[in-house]
Amino acid sequence: MAVDIPKSFEALPTSSPRHIGRGRRRVEDPALLTGRTQFVDDVELPRMLHCAILRSPFAHAKITEVDTREAESLPGVVAIVTGDDALRWSHPAQSSPEGWGTHCLATDAVRYVGEPVAAVAAVNRYVAEDAIELITVEYDPLDAVTDPVAAMAPDSTLVHAGQGTNVMMDRVFTWGEVDQAFEAADHVVSEKFRWNRMGANPTETFGCICEWDPLDLSLTIRGSIQSPSMFGLGRAATFALPSNKVNIISQPHGGSFGGKGGTRGTDVTCLLSRKADGRPVKWIEDRIEYLTAGGSQAWDRHYQASISVRQDGTVTGLRVGLIDDLGATGEAYGAICAAKPLAAFTGPYTIPVAEYDLKLVATNKVPSGPYRGMGPPPHFFVLEQLMDLAARRLGMDPAEFRRKNFIPNEAFPYTIPSGNEYDSGNYEEVLNQALALADYPALRSAQAEARQEGRLVGIGVASAIEPGVFDWNAYAIVGMPGTGVPEGATVSIDIMGFITVRVGFSLEGQGQYTLISQLVSDYFGTDPEMVRVVYLDTQSAPPSFGPGGSRLGVAITGAVLGACDRIRTKACRVVAALMQTEPENIVLHDGLFGIPGVPEAQMSVSDVAGTMLARSDLLPPDVDPRPEATHVWTAPGRTPADEEGRAKSYLTAAQAVHVVQVEIDRETGFVEIQRYCLADDCGTRLNPATVEGQTDGSVAQGIGAALLEEYSFDEDGQPQTTTFMDYLMPTVYEIPKVEKVAVVTPSPFTPLGAKGCGEGAIHTTPAAVLCAINDALAPIGQMAREVPAAPKRLWELIRAAGDTPEDGLI
Amino acid sequence: MKPAPFEYAAPPTLDEALAILSENDPDEVKILAGGQSLMPLLNMRLARPELLLDLTRIDELGGVRALDSAVSIGALATKRDVEDSSLVRDRNPLFMESTVMIGHPQIRNRGTVGGSMVQADPAAEYPAVAVALGAELVARGPGGERVIEADDFFITYLTTSLEPGEILTEVRVPDLPAGTGWSIQEVARRHGDFAIVGAVAMLRLESGVCVDPRIVIFGASDRARRHPEAEALLAGERPSAALFESAGQAVAQSLEDPTDDVHASADYRRDLARVLCARTLSEAMERAEGSGA
Amino acid sequence: MALCSIQVNVNGTNYQSVVEPRLSLADFLRHELGLTGTHVGCEHGVCGICNVLVDGRSVRACLLLAVQVDGQSVETVEGLAEGEKLHPIQQAFMDEQGLQCGFCTPGFIMSLKELLDCNPSPSEDEIKDVLGGSICRCTGYAGILRAVQSAVAKMGGGQPSSAD
Ligand SMILES: Cc1cc2nc3c(=O)[nH]c(=O)nc-3n(C[C@H](O)[C@H](O)[C@H](O)COP(=O)(O)OP(=O)(O)OC[C@H]3O[C@@H](n4cnc5c(N)ncnc54)[C@H](O)[C@@H]3O)c2cc1C
Ligand code: FES
Ligand code: FES
Repeated sequence: MAVDIPKSFEALPTSSPRHIGRGRRRVEDPALLTGRTQFVDDVELPRMLHCAILRSPFAHAKITEVDTREAESLPGVVAIVTGDDALRWSHPAQSSPEGWGTHCLATDAVRYVGEPVAAVAAVNRYVAEDAIELITVEYDPLDAVTDPVAAMAPDSTLVHAGQGTNVMMDRVFTWGEVDQAFEAADHVVSEKFRWNRMGANPTETFGCICEWDPLDLSLTIRGSIQSPSMFGLGRAATFALPSNKVNIISQPHGGSFGGKGGTRGTDVTCLLSRKADGRPVKWIEDRIEYLTAGGSQAWDRHYQASISVRQDGTVTGLRVGLIDDLGATGEAYGAICAAKPLAAFTGPYTIPVAEYDLKLVATNKVPSGPYRGMGPPPHFFVLEQLMDLAARRLGMDPAEFRRKNFIPNEAFPYTIPSGNEYDSGNYEEVLNQALALADYPALRSAQAEARQEGRLVGIGVASAIEPGVFDWNAYAIVGMPGTGVPEGATVSIDIMGFITVRVGFSLEGQGQYTLISQLVSDYFGTDPEMVRVVYLDTQSAPPSFGPGGSRLGVAITGAVLGACDRIRTKACRVVAALMQTEPENIVLHDGLFGIPGVPEAQMSVSDVAGTMLARSDLLPPDVDPRPEATHVWTAPGRTPADEEGRAKSYLTAAQAVHVVQVEIDRETGFVEIQRYCLADDCGTRLNPATVEGQTDGSVAQGIGAALLEEYSFDEDGQPQTTTFMDYLMPTVYEIPKVEKVAVVTPSPFTPLGAKGCGEGAIHTTPAAVLCAINDALAPIGQMAREVPAAPKRLWELIRAAGDTPEDGLI
Repeated sequence: MKPAPFEYAAPPTLDEALAILSENDPDEVKILAGGQSLMPLLNMRLARPELLLDLTRIDELGGVRALDSAVSIGALATKRDVEDSSLVRDRNPLFMESTVMIGHPQIRNRGTVGGSMVQADPAAEYPAVAVALGAELVARGPGGERVIEADDFFITYLTTSLEPGEILTEVRVPDLPAGTGWSIQEVARRHGDFAIVGAVAMLRLESGVCVDPRIVIFGASDRARRHPEAEALLAGERPSAALFESAGQAVAQSLEDPTDDVHASADYRRDLARVLCARTLSEAMERAEGSGA
Repeated sequence: MALCSIQVNVNGTNYQSVVEPRLSLADFLRHELGLTGTHVGCEHGVCGICNVLVDGRSVRACLLLAVQVDGQSVETVEGLAEGEKLHPIQQAFMDEQGLQCGFCTPGFIMSLKELLDCNPSPSEDEIKDVLGGSICRCTGYAGILRAVQSAVAKMGGGQPSSAD
């Protein structure tokens, strides 16, 4: 049966959409606002125990003995697990690159501060924490290696002695005649950059409740789990269980941004439940655990990058060398963040050839994981600084330099050197809108005046691509197998005409349940209040991946509209039989099935559903009598990656231009963001209020990345930022008013023309803020190469420049 | 992040609290006031007393009262009590300003004046202002009452001259002398965070020259301190940007052992002390001029 | 260790309970009383997600012990709506998209309730002072700021005053 998924609002079976494309109050909100939404720590189960984890105080040490006897005798303690249990009952974690995973509890050595060594299940968390203090562990400390460059040296301490090296991967990807481009160039601009570890820090940490069924040999896991089906497959592999014996129940969660982590803690908790004879065990990661060894540490990167440029301002080639410090294991899939830039390697530009020299290195730090944007944000920080350096070298305005190199409208769909195809865009218009919003000429003249006074005022104009709707093939170079990421929905109409939509992902904050109710109500001409969205666990849900890779809005739109279309087709046959005509003559429009232009030959959706459910005797014999259908949507036309990693991977390419004005306090190095303007194009806006909310939040995270957030370690691998007093996320004071304007270029490839937009502004914000900072520093001949641009770093630069204001470039 | 077990007592009077202190090994007792510094330490098990002695039920330790030329603030008065006090507002705008710089309203609703003094965080505003103003801290212990000059009270990082078994009962904050210009400024990574470095300046202008100049730097080293060398440079001199800059340099030079941590290096802190010294002096001068003295 | 008997009024209901002295107010509300609308984000006083009102003042529930509120009254997010009718602050958050994941929202709402109860037309500085005590990772604060403006207008405070 062919499924027809509308590619635009006009193609929906309604005269004019009343709900989709508008900002609506969210169906999720009343429960959240009154404290009724059940987050994982709000769930109580009978006979539930509570887990606390004993963690390594050393970045690298041998474990010679673990003694749990005293802890076992503490009243209230029910079970204790150590590395021995992990060896007995589980496998090392799967990892990327493959073969760099370890057991969830240290078996022979610890490789980072905070690595789990033992865990206790007790009657409550207080007693569990008392008990872990009674466990004694004997460590034999080893040298720690925390610098990935040092870790690559042949004589370096090894994080995993058995691997014989700390280099997890070392490959050069060449797309086109890069050497030639650089040789032929009029200018080559090269720089080193450093992006320090930072990450998601959702306000809710990770949490889970694990139940091991000792008779059925099955696992049930409730948790704040972003991608339940993947999470379930991972646990099945760890515990050597058939995949149909692991059921994942994803609770609503308090943000994720890719950085929820939690696989290791979940595995530990599963072991405890098994040891406690199947009693449910809850583990709620506390904030210090999260900051020390949780899922949010991402993007610990050393770059050496260059572009080749012709005198007329055409960029002819890009070379990026990246040493990515993945920490102690590959279990958290930080490697895919190094692969994802392939989906948008050359940004919004027509750079024809490129090279990626990629080294993934193990050190004695927490395994690095994903974070919103999954890797391109640092890549674009680098690319955009190079663009500014080149513009400055050529004496061109940075906005005009970018305009010159933008992919032109008529070139779409456009294939970039690293293989991905961009669907559509109108980059110049986005640039024009952003510059107009900011009144760019006025900003520049105010800047000129400020410079006269010796003030460090800078303007950044940056542009980036947000790849949307991910596919696994994007990460083929780091060993992720396969192509295709499904999202399914089951739509059912009941006998009263009320509609239930069943999906496999839980609430996370992006308002997808609201989106679903908008789609379905416009499709069937009902009120959104008549639509209910229900979450199903992995053993009942249609195939689903859930949010991630800026995909869910597009994918669930495809799934829901596909299911609606399947119901429509079925219903048309039913109505045709009742009206004694052919199905082709029946049309759904504004909530009525019938023969166009014949008012007496019309049936409401609920009448059709009622007839199907109650009068199967009237239906054509081969029609399934349920007014219900499931559709599973996957991005069409994805191709397997070739040897050089090239594939059609992400389906959509959203684009943005940000214009930022900053002033740096010459004496203190503090940055004030004085103006923040942006224009962006993410195709059709299914719910503009939601898109705006995603943009606002993503700008804030980008500002945090650019100026504040950093996980620091000392030379011995001791983390220095283990509380919210030291890991600094922006508050309301640090976020400027963000002025926004939208450009809409629908995607030709997606349901309703929407593009992925969930990760959004963080692709552009750090680049733009750093461009502005470097524009401010240019007159004193300095450049910020390190993110975050913390005041201590800028102060050093200003000091190095000396105190005389007018001595530098420009 | 759950505290280790402890016993708990919340006596209604100071005498009972002192008795509990004297009956127990003082090293095993921890006094609880607003809990805004102590509770995180308990949650992290970095403090693990046998007995937690909660002073918040002792009414006599609260309140703000007028003395002849000072304001007496009960050790258990909250920062919010200070913010709401018209007495403090009238008599000591510097103390008022320092109050609203502390953390956030939710912290100030609970955190006490005495708690900030005894916590002696080197980056805290209150100890700095107490040193600048020459406040007196009143303690009661087994040996009776003791009045301690602010400068003698703060020893070093998180350490005061309070004896085990003593309770801080009151802080006497001298009124800002008539005609005094003042300023308190700090740099912090985010609004409301503890300062990386802060400065307090006070001065009067008589016949166009600086009188009784005081400079306190906080956050830069082990405790808030006055800087007599810099103050000496100013006394009797006509105020000018150049003069303030040299005072700043004197401060930077005399700063001992600046703190070095993830947010700021020692050199950076030293330089910030210079900058903030000059900035607070010029604001203090403006206020002194504005006061018409 | 000795257990303590406490009596607390939470959202208008009196509760009598026997607790360990070390039990935090946040854990008491959540796990003893089942009032799980108060969330916990850091347990060291910084994130403001656990804000509740004690005797009308907003405080960190993670930095208070349950024994300390003996004899006092506590208000949590569960106490705001009247039946199906949201409190004006809740309604304003809904109308203005002041939340995404909603995990931080109860903490913001309780602190704002204190502010607006004491001061129906707060200045922008006063609003920021209160919001600055909590962290939201999702919204970038734009929707929250709009929600406060809207709540001020709804609750009869009129235009935010420029200064106090
Ligand atoms: C998010 C956050 C931000 C903050 N920002 C700032 C800031 O910017 N500036 C700042 O200065 N502070 C800040 N603080 C700390 C806050 O001001 C604390 O309130 C203060 O440091 C301690 O006061 P307290 O009443 O809470 O004392 P507690 O935490 O109860 O006690 C602190 C210490 O003092 C002892 N103690 C308390 N009272 C007495 C007494 N009367 N006699 C003897 N010993 C006593 C206690 O035993 C303990 O050792 C912040 C705290 C938080 C959580
Ligand atoms: S949980 Fe209480 S302030 Fe973060
Ligand atoms: S809405 Fe998610 S943290 Fe605020």
